[in-house]
Amino acid sequence: MSAPDNLLEVTGLKKYFPIYRGILSRHVGDVKAVDGIDFTLGRQETLSVVGESGCGKTTAGRSLLRLLTPTAGEALYRPEPGAPQVNLFGLSERKMRALRRDLQIIFQDPYGSLNPRITVGNAIGEALSVHGIAQGSELEDRVSELLRLVGLRPDVANRFPHEFSGGQRQRVGIARALTLRPKLIVCDEAVSALDVSIQAQVLNLLGDLQEEFGLSYIFIAHDLSVVKYISDRVAVMYLGRIVETGTVEQIFENPQHPYTKALLAAIPVPDPARRSQRVHLEGDVPSPISPPSGCHFHTRCPVAEERCSRETPAMQACEEGHHAACFLAEVCSST
Amino acid sequence: MTDPSQSPATSSNGSKPLLELRELKTHFRVDEGLAKAVDGVSYSLREGETLGVVGESGCGKSVTALSVMGLVPMPPGLNAGGEILFRGENLLLRSEEQMRAIRGNEIAMIFQEPMTALNPVYTVGNQIMETVMLHQGMDAAAAREHAIGMLEKVGIPSPLSRVDEYPHQLSGGMRQRVMIAIAMSCNPSLLIADEPTTALDVTIQAQILDLIADLQKAEGMSVLLITHDLGVVAQTAHHVAVMYAGKVVEYATVGELFSNPRHPYSIGLFRSLPDLAGAGERLETIPGMVPSATHFPSGCRFRTRCSIATDLCASQVPSLDPMDGTAGHTVACHHLEEAEKL
Ligand SMILES: Nc1ncnc2c1ncn2[C@@H]1O[C@H](COP(=O)(O)OP(=O)(O)O)[C@@H](O)[C@H]1O
Ligand SMILES: Nc1ncnc2c1ncn2[C@@H]1O[C@H](COP(=O)(O)OP(=O)(O)O)[C@@H](O)[C@H]1O
Ligand code: SF4
Ligand code: SF4
Ligand SMILES: [Mg+2]
Ligand SMILES: [Mg+2]
Repeated sequence: MSAPDNLLEVTGLKKYFPIYRGILSRHVGDVKAVDGIDFTLGRQETLSVVGESGCGKTTAGRSLLRLLTPTAGEALYRPEPGAPQVNLFGLSERKMRALRRDLQIIFQDPYGSLNPRITVGNAIGEALSVHGIAQGSELEDRVSELLRLVGLRPDVANRFPHEFSGGQRQRVGIARALTLRPKLIVCDEAVSALDVSIQAQVLNLLGDLQEEFGLSYIFIAHDLSVVKYISDRVAVMYLGRIVETGTVEQIFENPQHPYTKALLAAIPVPDPARRSQRVHLEGDVPSPISPPSGCHFHTRCPVAEERCSRETPAMQACEEGHHAACFLAEVCSST
Repeated sequence: MTDPSQSPATSSNGSKPLLELRELKTHFRVDEGLAKAVDGVSYSLREGETLGVVGESGCGKSVTALSVMGLVPMPPGLNAGGEILFRGENLLLRSEEQMRAIRGNEIAMIFQEPMTALNPVYTVGNQIMETVMLHQGMDAAAAREHAIGMLEKVGIPSPLSRVDEYPHQLSGGMRQRVMIAIAMSCNPSLLIADEPTTALDVTIQAQILDLIADLQKAEGMSVLLITHDLGVVAQTAHHVAVMYAGKVVEYATVGELFSNPRHPYSIGLFRSLPDLAGAGERLETIPGMVPSATHFPSGCRFRTRCSIATDLCASQVPSLDPMDGTAGHTVACHHLEEAEKL
């Protein structure tokens, strides 16, 4: 799927972590954290990436921004509609640094990424002075504006991270990501640690900012009710691979992959009148060092067939914009 | 103040509660002053039932549970009043030695992060064996058999080899199963589960909740389930206590609470859930944030975030009172009629 104004088109992204053993540090294998994934991201679009911990969501997000060096793949980035695409994975460090302004990330616990001895005002303003964008009182004004934008009072600029609650720190993290007017923010479990009433405040904020600045989000999360709320499109990952992608309606109303179905069935619905008697997935996720043969999911799949352990199902279109990697997924005649 | 004779569990049904908290207060002396972490908590739990305790982080859910276990570090903690009635007897009057016996045999607890509760240098088998050898006087051979049986019971595959593994060799879900095995090995009548699935993925969470429900059915134990996830409560609890700033603000059956929440805080919690919002709709939020335990507002502690607060709310603490016509539904709010229009 290539639209002329897509912000990002990623193909074949792989990230392996080599494993070395013994005194000679022999290369004995790899953690195939991300094992060949494709996705596209439109402008002002939110793509959520979901799946159980260890399936490679964080690694994919960090590789995309080259905070980790990708093992293989291509990430074609188009800064403006109609502008030529650049391959993020082929750029020199120097050229990549210039593009970093466009591509930001926020984490689950902003505490870990904020220096405890630097005031939040300086943490937010840092990037402006490093990039030579603003100095002195202009810089202070920009910081105040950013703080206001994320719903904090400008006078908190002089405080230190430990003086903030979790929700406030997440707002600081968002303000810092916004400093350089990015086009894309990877939100890695950005609301996962927050209580629901605070989570709702931050989700609303992310929505407002998206509209105001035309931001695109890659929203990494494991809470499917949040994903359902915030996403335009969803990618479901299992053991380093994307097993299903589609619009949020397609994934939630008409899931095709047995893993997606199992994830949805496991959500505890906040309605006691709808207590589930559903069958739950058994077992744990296997190790990405030696993933199961064929379809990675066959060891837990309730409907696996004999061929599933031998052959790897390819992604196929089930309907326009909806793809799943399962032999049993409904295949539409067109596309 | 609530009249103890009108406590929810005894008034709505004749059966006696297994656990009943009456105006429990557990405070901490901290640098900033006195943190009133638990400050007048009343709720009850009947035999064989599950009580869900919900509320935002810091509202006192865990400290309440640790108080029941007699595990609050004192100092800095101190008991500032109230009663913890277990089978009608006040646990606060028990000696440390008596509490140790109760913890091993009658009440057991599991936590969010099993890794911190498990000893990394002992095999999982040894940790289960230790519990039963200490509390039930089994010999080593019998205890090992028992440990293997318990691992099987909590659904750990190949228990014969797993029994000799160390905690770090297990996945998060398996470690929580081991914790449950340890907790269950003395056949407790009350299991306190403090955020037992918060650190787990949804598919594993579903497995662990199923396991707890199965064990509960088989053993007839009561479960005190602490969680911040209203979905988990809806799927598992019989009754629910909603806590805010060290107090219970609402208590009801799960069906009643979810269909007819009456406290402005409970109403706000439900409306913040993304599940219930339509796509693209703005989420409703509760403005502001939870006050600090050392500086709770006067009167109703929710008043700094409540849209219908009045002067009365600032001057008088609302008591947790039964609502007319609803069996066992209690709410602590001065303005229930206005709250109904929210
Ligand atoms: N630096 C690393 N070295 C080795 N293995 C790693 C490293 N980072 C992540 N992994 C492994 O890669 C897999 C994917 O991890 P991650 O991307 O963090 O998953 P997720 O974010 O979906 O939970 C996991 O098996 C994890 O243990
Ligand atoms: N050992 C302790 N010393 C001082 N304060 C404590 C201690 N344990 C808990 N608290 C305080 O008690 C309050 C309630 O905590 P807790 O019961 O853990 O909340 P919850 O489990 O609802 O998130 C918090 O303000 C917390 O900081
Ligand atoms: S390909 Fe086979 S094992 Fe994989 S999800 Fe489909 S049915 Fe299950
Ligand atoms: S007592 Fe007053 S402040 Fe408290 S919840 Fe009721 S109306 Fe709001
Ligand atoms: Mg991650
Ligand atoms: Mg807690």
